[in-house]
Amino acid sequence: MSQLFRTQLFDEHVKLGGKIVPFAGWEMPVQYTSVKDEVLAVRNNVGVFDVSHMGEFFIDGKDAEAFADYLVTNDILNAPMRKAIYSPLCREDGTIVDDLIVYKLATGRVMICVNASNIEKDFAWMKSKQAGFECSLTNLSNVFSLIALQGPKSFEKLRPLLTELSDMEYYSVCETFAGGAPVIIARTGYTGEDGFEIFGHHQTIKDLWQKLLMAGVTPCGLAARDVLRLEVCYPLYGHELNDDVNPYDAGLSWTVKAQKAKFIGKEVLQNKPAKYKLVKLQLDKGIPREGYHVLNANNEVIGLITSGTMSVVINKGIALARIQIDKAPKDEVFMVDIRNKLYSAQLIKKPFVTGGHK
Amino acid sequence: MANNIPANLKYTKEHEWTLIEGNTVTVGITDFAQSALGDIVFVEVPEVGSDLKEGSTFGVVESIKSVSDLYSPVSGEVIAKNSDVEGSPEKINKDAYGSWLIKVKVKDLTEINKLLSAEQYQEFCNSSH
Repeated sequence: MSQLFRTQLFDEHVKLGGKIVPFAGWEMPVQYTSVKDEVLAVRNNVGVFDVSHMGEFFIDGKDAEAFADYLVTNDILNAPMRKAIYSPLCREDGTIVDDLIVYKLATGRVMICVNASNIEKDFAWMKSKQAGFECSLTNLSNVFSLIALQGPKSFEKLRPLLTELSDMEYYSVCETFAGGAPVIIARTGYTGEDGFEIFGHHQTIKDLWQKLLMAGVTPCGLAARDVLRLEVCYPLYGHELNDDVNPYDAGLSWTVKAQKAKFIGKEVLQNKPAKYKLVKLQLDKGIPREGYHVLNANNEVIGLITSGTMSVVINKGIALARIQIDKAPKDEVFMVDIRNKLYSAQLIKKPFVTGGHK
Repeated sequence: MANNIPANLKYTKEHEWTLIEGNTVTVGITDFAQSALGDIVFVEVPEVGSDLKEGSTFGVVESIKSVSDLYSPVSGEVIAKNSDVEGSPEKINKDAYGSWLIKVKVKDLTEINKLLSAEQYQEFCNSSH
């Protein structure tokens, strides 16, 4: 493994007693005190995550929106200005390069936030598709730090620090100032709760992080983030999404706007090709984990768990599983093989936990 | 990291503690182990009457984020299991040495000589961390 990167908040995490682990090429805090406490802080109160390892690209110029729209499957062109739009980034064959959020900052100015492990891959991919678009594409991942303030009390905690902060709509974005320094604020997150993601230069974000902690916000690590996103059934690249599946295989059909005039992957994706189906499974006994086999009533293996954990909120084993469509059981009987023992799993239609986002 | 290592117990490199009383060995996981695991949410141990072999897996402890096997410190028969801890696994986080998992009737008492003293275990934790 090559040298691991550290975010500008690394020393803060160490000072707080955070347990540091390698993640996507970075040394990141997996937890500070307890995963349970951190999850509950976000669900009931407010927590903050350092997600500076994630990547920020900027597209500037006349064709900024058109280029972003061409790259991704979701509709960027018709989305209102100052909106954030979640989308997969697909290849011509429909497979997923990454999933990301496109932020329409202003006319001719778009920011894209991508997964840390895919920064180089995504940037090279996007660059290779830029011909014919009148705009620049810049990778500013090293210039930006990013924190996510999440939980029902997010607005209450952020307001005193950012006097210009208005009560923004969910999934909207604005450019404003924090203590005189420019920041980009989006009412987005990865927990299902109300909250804000704040992009800014390193020192600006460090100051904000410290002020939020002083205001009583709980620092939260990657383990809590993973439980939180799984409880509300948000996919994670490398688990539910990867280079071998398309959005239909991963429960993301809602992000494919096949009626768009042109976008990469349109020819394949407009036919809704799906080999797999992503299902939500809940277990009364046993904890499902990534890679465990999923079986039907006849004990045939029909799929794999892509992410699994013990839910803090409902206190049950929960999982997302990739099932072969042709083997999806009509009787909806699912079992999970946990250490060679079969545990029955209940098919759930709605997310395990309902987040309180606006 | 919390690392409380009582002097009256013996230890394994897999981070189990043992209390030896005659030919009965009580087994649990150490404070180091519970702290490394984080919030423990599931414990599975064998039924009373099961035969264990020294060094082989006899159960699992799961935290929210990971699964860890339990390794038997000695060979012998399981004569008791702690249903209380199976029902409330978070007790291990609160009191690792008060939360025993199983009691084993040892077949071969010489196996006990292979276990680490508190001092040796402390050294092992320092060097592996």
